[in-house]
Amino acid sequence: MRFDHVTDVIGDTPLVRIDAAVHGLNNIDLYAKMELFNPFGSVKDRAAWNMVRHRLPGAADRGETVVELSSGNTAKALAVIAGMHGLPFRSVTNRMRIPEVKDLLLLLGAQIDELPGRSECLDPSDADDPLTRMYHTVSADGAGYLHTDQYFNDLNIEAHLRGTGPEIIADLDGRAPDYFIACVGTAGSSTGVARALRAHDPAVTVVGLVAEKSDFVPGIRNLDEVHEVGLFDPDVYDTIEAVSSDDAIDGLLTLVRRCGTLAGPTGGGAYQGAVRYLRRIDAGLTERRTAVFIVCDRVESYLSYLRERRPALFRQQARANTVRSLTAEDVAAARTVGVADARTWIDKEHPLIVDLRSPFAYRAQHIDRSINIVDEQFGEMLHGGLPFSTRQPVLLVCPVGEKSARYAALLARMGHPDARSLAGGVIAWRDAGAELVRD
Amino acid sequence: MTLYLQPRVDGDLRLVLEDRDLPHRLADGLGSPLNLVLPGRVGHNVRRFRDIYHRHHLSGGVYFAHKANRSAALLRALAATDAGVDVASLGELQHALGAGFDPGRIMATGPKSREYLWLAARTGAVVNADSTTELSELAGIVAAHALPRVRVMARLSGFTSSGTNVMSRASRFGVPAAELGALWEVLGKHREQLDFLGVAYHLDTVGMPEKATALEGCLLAVEEAYRHGLSPRAVDIGGGFGVSYLADGRQWEAWTSELTAAVLGKRPPITWNGHGYGLRNEGGTVRGALSVYPAHRGVAGPDYLESLLTAESAVHRRPFGTLLLDGLHDLHVEPGRALLDQCGAVLMRVEEVRGDGRGETLVRLAGNSGDVALEAHGVLMDPLLLSRGEPGPEEPAGVHLTGNLCLEADLITRRKVFLPRLPRPGDLLAFANTAGYLMDFSVGNALMQPTARTVAVVRDGDRWRWCLDEQYWPVLGREETG
Repeated sequence: MRFDHVTDVIGDTPLVRIDAAVHGLNNIDLYAKMELFNPFGSVKDRAAWNMVRHRLPGAADRGETVVELSSGNTAKALAVIAGMHGLPFRSVTNRMRIPEVKDLLLLLGAQIDELPGRSECLDPSDADDPLTRMYHTVSADGAGYLHTDQYFNDLNIEAHLRGTGPEIIADLDGRAPDYFIACVGTAGSSTGVARALRAHDPAVTVVGLVAEKSDFVPGIRNLDEVHEVGLFDPDVYDTIEAVSSDDAIDGLLTLVRRCGTLAGPTGGGAYQGAVRYLRRIDAGLTERRTAVFIVCDRVESYLSYLRERRPALFRQQARANTVRSLTAEDVAAARTVGVADARTWIDKEHPLIVDLRSPFAYRAQHIDRSINIVDEQFGEMLHGGLPFSTRQPVLLVCPVGEKSARYAALLARMGHPDARSLAGGVIAWRDAGAELVRD
Repeated sequence: MTLYLQPRVDGDLRLVLEDRDLPHRLADGLGSPLNLVLPGRVGHNVRRFRDIYHRHHLSGGVYFAHKANRSAALLRALAATDAGVDVASLGELQHALGAGFDPGRIMATGPKSREYLWLAARTGAVVNADSTTELSELAGIVAAHALPRVRVMARLSGFTSSGTNVMSRASRFGVPAAELGALWEVLGKHREQLDFLGVAYHLDTVGMPEKATALEGCLLAVEEAYRHGLSPRAVDIGGGFGVSYLADGRQWEAWTSELTAAVLGKRPPITWNGHGYGLRNEGGTVRGALSVYPAHRGVAGPDYLESLLTAESAVHRRPFGTLLLDGLHDLHVEPGRALLDQCGAVLMRVEEVRGDGRGETLVRLAGNSGDVALEAHGVLMDPLLLSRGEPGPEEPAGVHLTGNLCLEADLITRRKVFLPRLPRPGDLLAFANTAGYLMDFSVGNALMQPTARTVAVVRDGDRWRWCLDEQYWPVLGREETG
């Protein structure tokens, strides 16, 4: 397999059967269309390339910027393609909700514009929302924008009508599947594939999956949002069902842990929605059927999404020497010293003064001769053992003397004989009129 | 389908409105419309903000944004707590001083006249300045009248974000964060007159990323102030904490879905003349944005403050609450709506119930959309139906609420409102939880209809006591002295 351009690698993704022992369907063969194998990582590579390819010649000379309303995979694919062709890329979005995707886009050189949130003191006469205003700006002729307009662009559908759909039929030996289940985002892949399959066999059942309204599943629109999508046509779908983020994560876990398929939550939602739908039909079947769903992208970009919703999946080993392991009694027994006594002690015994606040705050003002180790870093250091001699007295300071007391307790438990916490912290120090300096 | 948007009503407000007798007696005696305020509730709301402060070990002031409601009773009740007050006019400043706020607890914000600046400086309120010009003018007044040094804060705006470009609506207030040089110069020059407390922002948004960007910008500005030899010690993050108005988020979701369907013509309209609240149908696709207050919010009020304080700064990779504490800064907040949660209601009498000949039912009220500013603020929630005498059987009815002004446009709300049964003339509708911004914010009397009186209702054991708003003081009965 040799290619001249990475964009030639887009498409022709494999169709992989899901083991019946995993999905438990007796009469249905379930296949995953592995869109995560596209070169930039998702099904959106197809649409992005198809929407932009014919407009690239001369775009750099005209000084155009590629722009799209996207906070996910389309932006990613367009950022890569724009970069390859010497064009800037700008992503306009209501909110970047997946931090990994945001960082990746910045890494790819994209400019990300986040639109303002809703007004708290509403002006109902302000009928034009920021999104519409932005839309008018980027769509105007001669504005210098190459606006791909994925929610309204028929080339988005066409990428799947000519690519994804026919590939599925070819891989099923010239037959369309009986069921096609897809998540609805821009409606491009579901509509394009559905049209291709129905052109081949009008009997295909198409199931559209949308997110539950108050929920958020990346890459899927909710029940109301689909109506804002120009490409969305309810008649494409025989039925529309909702999947929750819980469903999507359950499906994702099945795919990544049992199927060797490192799918993201969109693919997970498609799998879970597919199995839930097919299970209701399976029992009444007397002959074999086939079903296809799309695995949209990969899991790696969604670790923080998963961590936020299922922290238990990321169980961490208990570590030695942490403040979290202290009891209330430990902390209460920590050695503390008031401001007046601390000043005498500092003059006489020169304890090492460790300021646990942020470098930013330390830079602004601190106790003279103190050193700055942010609490988190100090905590990290202590995992490995005492970072200073037991003969060196230590005064720990934080804003109010709460964190410093915990660390003093921890140092005591680790065998340090004279680690004290400044009672009331830097605030008490300041309020007592003791000196704070800037270096 | 009955598209209720039932309000979240709890505590004494619920008990007062569930009383079969009291609301009717009050409205009979004092007329419709009638404003009820519950001064007993504000202390609870202040404490909930304070709890968040304590959790983060933060100090600083919770300043009530006076403009949310001009009730004397609510203001005096707040004066009896440890809250401060954020006044935005000379009149509000006088009101606050008269209600018992010592000037140390008063923050003077908003567009300022010379008179307003003088009274603030004379009494010793904190002046939260919108521009460097205002600071110069204030310094001039202080010097010319030999007034004591005034504590000032500087409101900033136009913050830039790191990483992504977080866009924000342009504000007409505040010193641009990119042009702080002039600010340090003015503060340095007038050191004798101006005691620089710190920096402030106030953003009109419910968006957390914008607020985080602004807070980040304030922390950077404080750092810069230190470098210019100033010693600021407070950051003021304004208000906008919000209230969740509805009891059940599913009703909000159902209603907004049905509105979308109605705009697309897939169901009969659920608003007056098919009004779309910002949504419109363009060739079968919905365009525009829903231009209403998010009536059901998962995170509002003190919880919103909590999530802002626990949010992590992108620049410092540390939560904002920790950064504020690290920097030894006081945190000032200026909630309006959130401090008045569950503190009041507007009562209106039903005058007439009739069909409009087009299949809709009109319920005309003794009051108008200026008396309860739901529509002006985009807050969508049902009133409670307080039947006079024995209520009829439950049978949900969708009605349009029209007002007492001789104007086609005078609807209390353009939403079709569902009530548990059809009201009868003489019944009352109670617009609950409207003390914050919705009560008499937009009232006018161009058509010489009566303006609402305001009544303070106070719990007295298991009974209710009431008095006219201006008669209320936080001294209930005869306190024991010995």
